Amino acid sequence: MATANIQQAEGQVVAHEDHGHDHEHHDNFISKYIFSTDHKMIGKQYLITGIFWALLGGGLSLVFRLQLGFPDMDMSFLSPILGGWISEAGSLDPEFYLAMVTMHGTIMVFFVLTAGLSGTFSNYLIPLQIGARDMASGFMNMLSYWFFFLSSVIMFISLFLETGPAGGGWVVYPPLSALPEAISGSGTGMTMWLVAMVFFIVSQLLGGINYITTVINLRTRGMSFSKLPLTIWAFFLTAVIGLLAFPVLFAASLLLVFDRSFGTSFYLSEIYIAGEALPNVGGSPVLYQHLFWFLGHPEVYIVLLPALGITSEVVATNSRKPIFGYRAMIGSMLGITILSFVVWAHHMFVSGLNPFLGSVFMFLTLVIAVPSAVKVFNYLTTLWKGNIVFTPAMLFSIGLVSFFISGGLTGIFLGNAAIDIQLHDTYFVVAHFHLVMGSASFFGLMAGVYHWFPKMFGRMMDAKLGYIHFWLTFVGVYLVFFPMHYIGIAGFPRRYYSFTNFDAFSDFTDLNMFVTVAAFFTAAAQAIFLFNFFYSMFRGRLAPANPWKSNTLEWTTTRYPGHGNWPGEIPTVYRWPYDYSKPGAKDDFIPQIVPYSQTKDSNLPHENELVDLEKETDAIIIDETES
Amino acid sequence: TKSNGINAILFVLFLVLGFGAFFWYSYSEFDRYQLPIASEHGILTDNLFWVTMGVTGIVFFLTHVLLFVFPYKYQYKENTKALFYPDNTKLEIAWTIVPAIVLSVLVFSGWKVWSEVTRQAPEEAQVIEIVGYQFAWIIRYPGQDQKLGEFDYRLIDATNAHGMDFSDRSTFDDFTASNIVVPKGKPVLFKIRARDVLHSVYIPHFRLKMDAVPGMPTRFWFTPNKTTQEMRDELGNPDFNIELACAEVCGRGHNSMRKTVTVLEQDEYDEWYAQQESFLAKNPEYLANVPSNLKEVAVLAAGMETDDADDTNKN
Amino acid sequence: MSDKENIILNTEDPTPTLSMHPKKFGLWLFIVTVVMVFAALTSAYIVRQGEGNWLDFTMPDIFWYSTGVILLSSMTMHWAYTAAKRDNLETVNIAIGITAVLGLAFVVMQFLGWGKLVDLEVFFVGNPSGSFLYVLTGLHGLHLLSGVIFLIIVLISTLRYKVHSRNMARMDMCATYWHFLDGLWVYLFIFLLLNN
Ligand code: HEA
Ligand code: HEA
Ligand code: CUA
Ligand SMILES: [Cu+2]
Repeated sequence: MATANIQQAEGQVVAHEDHGHDHEHHDNFISKYIFSTDHKMIGKQYLITGIFWALLGGGLSLVFRLQLGFPDMDMSFLSPILGGWISEAGSLDPEFYLAMVTMHGTIMVFFVLTAGLSGTFSNYLIPLQIGARDMASGFMNMLSYWFFFLSSVIMFISLFLETGPAGGGWVVYPPLSALPEAISGSGTGMTMWLVAMVFFIVSQLLGGINYITTVINLRTRGMSFSKLPLTIWAFFLTAVIGLLAFPVLFAASLLLVFDRSFGTSFYLSEIYIAGEALPNVGGSPVLYQHLFWFLGHPEVYIVLLPALGITSEVVATNSRKPIFGYRAMIGSMLGITILSFVVWAHHMFVSGLNPFLGSVFMFLTLVIAVPSAVKVFNYLTTLWKGNIVFTPAMLFSIGLVSFFISGGLTGIFLGNAAIDIQLHDTYFVVAHFHLVMGSASFFGLMAGVYHWFPKMFGRMMDAKLGYIHFWLTFVGVYLVFFPMHYIGIAGFPRRYYSFTNFDAFSDFTDLNMFVTVAAFFTAAAQAIFLFNFFYSMFRGRLAPANPWKSNTLEWTTTRYPGHGNWPGEIPTVYRWPYDYSKPGAKDDFIPQIVPYSQTKDSNLPHENELVDLEKETDAIIIDETES
Repeated sequence: TKSNGINAILFVLFLVLGFGAFFWYSYSEFDRYQLPIASEHGILTDNLFWVTMGVTGIVFFLTHVLLFVFPYKYQYKENTKALFYPDNTKLEIAWTIVPAIVLSVLVFSGWKVWSEVTRQAPEEAQVIEIVGYQFAWIIRYPGQDQKLGEFDYRLIDATNAHGMDFSDRSTFDDFTASNIVVPKGKPVLFKIRARDVLHSVYIPHFRLKMDAVPGMPTRFWFTPNKTTQEMRDELGNPDFNIELACAEVCGRGHNSMRKTVTVLEQDEYDEWYAQQESFLAKNPEYLANVPSNLKEVAVLAAGMETDDADDTNKN
Repeated sequence: MSDKENIILNTEDPTPTLSMHPKKFGLWLFIVTVVMVFAALTSAYIVRQGEGNWLDFTMPDIFWYSTGVILLSSMTMHWAYTAAKRDNLETVNIAIGITAVLGLAFVVMQFLGWGKLVDLEVFFVGNPSGSFLYVLTGLHGLHLLSGVIFLIIVLISTLRYKVHSRNMARMDMCATYWHFLDGLWVYLFIFLLLNN
């Protein structure tokens, strides 16, 4: 014990040296708002950029939904924006349709739900919740944002190219993505896509290295791994997945670049196009698919895990109950992390994959449902016998659980290779991933924004508007994506500009129209959010210190924490973050910074034993709170 | 508070209305989204689909009832305190094991069907080659020898769209067809290729899908179990046709790569087959590509009029 | 019972958290990403090779020599490291200088190796077996150049007396990275030998 104490003392000294000077900075506009190294500002930069991309990605989906819902519509009114992509007769160009779908997918997956979600909350919350002054390297963190920004700019510019942006689907399978003869988007558009993605990967790696280093090395005293909030666990594991998966995407893109620009044949073989036989032999398009999905599948959990982490925190806080099965939650996230690397080929059941491998991947894919099941049941049990407060964040979290169940269950169909033969590349898949990603993760993002807005901007968002936003979005999103299952079961293929060429797909014009209308309805509901967000930023009610009566560390600092997060010492942590409604306690929450010695009435028997141990260390602790 | 109560009630309302709409639509529109099945393995995979639907449907229903009723039941009340209930190892184990068992059953039945569908095609299967390119499918049958000839992508030209290699004997009697015709009740093996980018052979009524990959031939075999005529009668639609579509994005015309598939009774099929004229007979100029020592064999195998052959020989 | 033990562990009183120099740790994470890139490429190599149509050739001898050079550079790197620990700054400068020169020599030899490959009619554009070789060596070469830049940075800091026995972080990281690049090449070389 004694040695431990000495170490603590030393650790403390080091911490002082490192950060003592931080809160005396004087920032000018540029270093405060633009090239900021403060993790909180960087988090907000990610958030705002993410919202921009969400609007753009959502806007694209509205345009192509118009095409799907009303194929005969005269779209000339869009020509001011889309220019030459609308023909004289007012119809949308089929290649541009594909380009819009591709950009929609790319933007939503990478720019909104990877950068916008992980980028925002990992940056904002990791130091605040583990009790650190900032990220391990503020400079790298800033670089990470600016690489993302650069990537964004390049991707954005590619939208305005004469030949259009990349158009081969967000998975950019070669040979389509390698041959400009095959689709015009595979010219400059695809080049820019690849360049943007390389910068994006760099940004994610810089960010990820920082998150992991920070979580491992900069936790405040007492913040052992078993006392970390589940949000941090989720961000941590997300960063680990990213660190292992993104380099593989880099490798895949690199080879694609060589094939496109230098004439190698990694992915190209025996191609006859535009009346000409290309010299490439010996390449394998399936190789690309393996490499892509080795990233692509973990990527979907990169998108989901932070949302689940946020939900765990929000559900526990607002049920006024400890999260049920803290350890099981961590275990299941670890399970998902590991399993996410061994299921990738379930996207390739009918790609010509060896059927035996198909069986293996079918088995592994369905195994991943087990940890997911544990999470769902733990959420349900957390709600059970709670004392539930419906903040907007809580509503979005409940919504997330609902979408995760619906979307996850459709994953069970797809994971079954025999069933996937029919369902692959139909709207059933589209329905699956919009529910589990476009809805569940999106709701996690929303929950996070509503929950941490008071910390981010020092003001409250309007709750009533939040409720309206939630209900319209919740209903709207189900109306958009649920009907897609029927369309998918009926066999409608995805990435179809129109279904009129086939008798088999001539039905369901009514449902397609309905989906489009519902999509417009849902998008309109987001205006409420936008208004609430920007209005409250400047005019909202000033936030109390701990508006949700939450236990975690970020609520122990001031309303506008400066660079360095806590004006005085960093608080010390004594307990896990989920002591809600502990029997005997006077409040229904006990923040992590309250030592057991102050909560004699509510301590569990073994916790009382700890009080004695605490006493020994008290000297230091009291010292530091007084200094 | 008031809005707390309203939100709680809305969840229950959502649950009731949502499930109401779900059951109503699923039941009343069943025939619209349930495609008729025209292949033997399709019956198996569809079975599996509905079993999975049953299992997940139950899970879906139960979890959602809990998810939306709990918020109502345990909504915030002043003076009550939530139950401090952080852990229960037995419960955790239970809901790890139960889903694991359920999933094992699904995996196992899926695996059985999958191995059945993907096993080696029977010897007697009718081989048909399907080649995708931007933006159409082309079809080739082996002739009487039931062997498809070799191909090489460098031999492709406007007429010889398959890149058939005329130095291979098996090629001589191969014929191309404008639509796919298959016999009912006999295994059919599709040999699938692509010329330029990825495509995917997709015949919804057969529950059949397989990517077409340039440089890497793929295959899929199945047994049609209804003739087109039987399907027409069943659906009461005399214009019905089974269709082949493309399911892998391939560019501008991705949504237009259509071919019809006709399923005939075996005797009708044999008759049709016998009537087909070989590619060589239709395009005698390609006789020039046949090595001279094989020309006679070729003329015979292709069933060509001899004077045709003479013509090209002179050229 | 065991449950209770768990909880005790769970709620132990404040202990300092595991601490490693954050930058060093970050370097290790960076190394992980580089490992992943090469793991992806070499598994792609194997997968592709399994599909046949693969051009076999023997690695030109010069790659053996370059391997020797880079192994030697690892030794001089270690020499620099121990010298720094003993505050033997003169030696540090020399050793780092030699390491950097050996590193550059390695890169030049790799480049010459490419020339030899071309003589063998193994081209970048052509059978993927050759293309892979160029990509693997080229990418490794780029990383090695970044290592040389790192060496130069350390050299400059030693000249300014910023590297010594009580300030080893930079030296440490440089040595780690250099040995890693060495190990990576040895792995790649053996991999290529075994697969050709
Ligand atoms: C956030 C993103 C996300 C998440 C979490 C998931 C989760 C899962 N996904 Fe999904 N998926 C995508 C995003 C995601 N997916 C995307 C983007 C694509 C398409 C890419 C493209 O082609 O463009 C895709 C495609 C996709 C395919 C390929 C389909 C095809 O192209 O043919 C498959 C196949 O196996 C699959 C399976 C699964 C499974 C089994 C899960 C599981 O993890 C789900 C587990 C969850 C549950 C099962 C629900 C909760 C559990 C219970 C309530 C317990 C009880 C349940 C039982 C006992 C059954 N997904
Ligand atoms: C995370 C992801 C995500 C999200 C949220 C969405 C949202 C939507 N998607 Fe998307 N979609 C994809 C991911 C997503 N999609 C992917 C990966 C593909 C596959 C691409 C491919 O095939 O290559 C796809 C493809 C796809 C298709 C298939 C096209 C085809 O195959 O031909 C369709 C068709 O209807 C569709 C529709 C929609 C609609 C109507 C919405 C609507 O819900 C949109 C409404 C939303 C908004 C208008 C945004 C407003 C949001 C805010 C204002 C939030 C504020 C932001 C913050 C708090 C940061 N999408
Ligand atoms: Cu061919 Cu899509
Ligand atoms: Cu997946």
